[in-house]
Amino acid sequence: MTVAGFLTTRITALGAAVLAATRAGVELWLVYVSTIAGIVRGFSRKNRRNRGELARQLHAVGNKSLVFIIVTLGFIGMVMTYQACLQLGRVTGDYSQVGSQFLRLIVSDFGPTLTGLMLATRVGAGIAAEIGSMKVTEQIDALRMSGVLPIDHLIVPRFVACVVMTLALSVIGSLVMYGAGGLTAQYSFGVNPHTFYDLSFIRPRHVVLMVVKALAYGAAIPIVAGFCGLRARGSSEGVGWATTAAVIGGSFAVIVLDFIISAAALFVTGGDL
Amino acid sequence: MSTAFIEFRGVTKAFSGKPVLRGMSLAVDKGEVMFIIGTSGVGKSVTIKHLIGLLRIDEGEIWFDGARVDQLPERALAPLRKRIGMVFQSSTLFDSMTLAENVALPLRKHGKLSHNDALAEARERLAQVYMAEYADRYPAELSDGMRKRAAIARTLALSPEVVLFDEPTTGLDPVSARRVDRLIRELADKLGMTAIVVSHDPPSIFGVADRVAFLYRGVVHVVATPAELRASPDPVVQQFITGRSKGPMETPGF
Amino acid sequence: MIGERLVSGIGASALRITQEVGGIVVLTGQVLRALVPPRIDGRELVKNLHKMGNRSVPIVALTAFFAGALMMLQAGPFVKKFGATSLAGWGAGYAVLREIGPILIALMFSGRVGANNTAELSTMTVTEQLDGLRALAIDPVKFLVVPRVIAMMVMLVALTVIGDLVALAGATLVGRVMLGIDWSTMYYSFADNLTPYDFLHGVYKSIAFGAAIAMSSCYFGVTVRGGAVGVGKAVNAAVVAAAVSIMLLDFFLTYLTG
Repeated sequence: MTVAGFLTTRITALGAAVLAATRAGVELWLVYVSTIAGIVRGFSRKNRRNRGELARQLHAVGNKSLVFIIVTLGFIGMVMTYQACLQLGRVTGDYSQVGSQFLRLIVSDFGPTLTGLMLATRVGAGIAAEIGSMKVTEQIDALRMSGVLPIDHLIVPRFVACVVMTLALSVIGSLVMYGAGGLTAQYSFGVNPHTFYDLSFIRPRHVVLMVVKALAYGAAIPIVAGFCGLRARGSSEGVGWATTAAVIGGSFAVIVLDFIISAAALFVTGGDL
Repeated sequence: MSTAFIEFRGVTKAFSGKPVLRGMSLAVDKGEVMFIIGTSGVGKSVTIKHLIGLLRIDEGEIWFDGARVDQLPERALAPLRKRIGMVFQSSTLFDSMTLAENVALPLRKHGKLSHNDALAEARERLAQVYMAEYADRYPAELSDGMRKRAAIARTLALSPEVVLFDEPTTGLDPVSARRVDRLIRELADKLGMTAIVVSHDPPSIFGVADRVAFLYRGVVHVVATPAELRASPDPVVQQFITGRSKGPMETPGF
Repeated sequence: MIGERLVSGIGASALRITQEVGGIVVLTGQVLRALVPPRIDGRELVKNLHKMGNRSVPIVALTAFFAGALMMLQAGPFVKKFGATSLAGWGAGYAVLREIGPILIALMFSGRVGANNTAELSTMTVTEQLDGLRALAIDPVKFLVVPRVIAMMVMLVALTVIGDLVALAGATLVGRVMLGIDWSTMYYSFADNLTPYDFLHGVYKSIAFGAAIAMSSCYFGVTVRGGAVGVGKAVNAAVVAAAVSIMLLDFFLTYLTG
């Protein structure tokens, strides 16, 4: 192959990739806009059937993820405290700041972000699997035929449930992390619980950061997952792909949003966090 | 001991409490083409899957070439499965491999051939089922009939003595279906292969079978040659082969 | 009434979890058994290594970059308030190499490679391709599962090694651009405070993470039931099980070597 030929194929491939990405981005945006529109419509109409569905989704997203969040965040809270104390013990031996700094980190970052990552795995995959299965078995088309907007019926309740429950689970997850960390510090390093559970470093801006992050993740996960599910094609293989894409897309969205929000917060506060 | 080449004796099988086979017995001789027919869900596929241990029977015995095979553990089934090949209803070609690689796989695994030798051999095997020109295509790109023929080539790669066909003509157009029929007949006539064919396709039954076992209510209702079957006065058999919707036959699910 | 439902719900979950853990243990046993004698299908192994590497390197590198960047951002307030520039590299580097790096990389690997593998295996299972292998006298565990498990373990370790470097690069870049720490300060901050052991600690944990991801991914792939719906559920279950195992293993391995 000539150099020019090689370059041409490469550029064509790149162009195709950019086009596909742009198209996906537009579709993702459309899903998001339609969902918001669907919520507005839902409020104005006071649809009773959708309330039942919302309750079911709140249960599916929240209650069914509770144990998962408690277990994963609890263990990681213990590990993080353990590592921090281990390192401090080697350097200064002063554990007095561990608890308060750990809490600051949990509230402003680890709590909501790790909860978000876990929910992207647990809930995002679930939404994509469910909607993807409906797509390939032509149930979505059947919905359309019976005059129901798939986004209103499928994504709106999951979106609302996810936003609410991500916030709730972030709070619970943070508490579990903090509690588990305190126990570890006490039993492995002899840190007095009164020293560890020191709330004096927490400021309102940390709490605001937590709420903003949790809401952003809670909105991103169902949109990405729903988008992946609606794009499923073929049969079982298509559903598998959609579910995989939802996990990776959701997790990555959480990480990128975390970065953007954290960086913005650092600038807005001038580093005074 | 069993005198027949393949023998099912009083086989029962239930799925989550629902009996499918209720004491089914059937003997198949060496070199014959035996059809197992019956309505959907009557346990035809289940029967042949028992023979190579893909499913386990609840009660009864299965004998093959003078040895009891129904109690063999999974690891001891390999020699049996090399002697008895199976062509599945859904072809079960591996999606990630070309047709040639699919056929080469058993050759490479059991024939101790290198990958390239196995591929060359696989192309020859594909030529025997008139699929040589599609050797480098993936299963997803081909029609059902083509996949079926490639699946037959893959099963034949190990030169089995017995081949089990699970609804080989279901889902095929009539022309492809007759080609598959002719292939089955040729294998029996030229290579002396024993075939057990699960089918409910009348042209296959009357065009290919040496004998036909009619499975009904979990047991073999009748074993007969196609001609005898056609002449049978049994009302259930008559209803099945003429395909009438009304009659004495019990059809689960309808 | 509610109490009754709660108790029976917990009982049912516990039963299901026990069953799944048992299944994974049995499959692990079969994999180990298939390794004696160690005759692995070379072609499958190479094919899987290639495919898994191709699919996961970009996303893992990006994740690692952000992981490093995020940890440096968390150190930001200290730098801004106290001018503790040397402390920033220490804190961010230590957190990235020992915990955040390996965990985030493993989670992303599970989402990309593990989930994909489950999707592939479960599709093969529902379309009877595993029975097809059995009928050809080929053991599906030996032929399909063993190469995938080995490939995933090898690949995750390699990705963690690469990812660690990318993460430190991400931390350095954020330190320079957003916190104004110059390159050499950052370099010495890493070099003086981090030991090879911090790096190895993360890498050896990734071996265990790789095994856990591989086993849960393969288990849910080969035990799937019921068409397209089943495939989606299997992928979901596989990533959830992998995430829980990663957190549990992280805890036990950290304690064991602490």
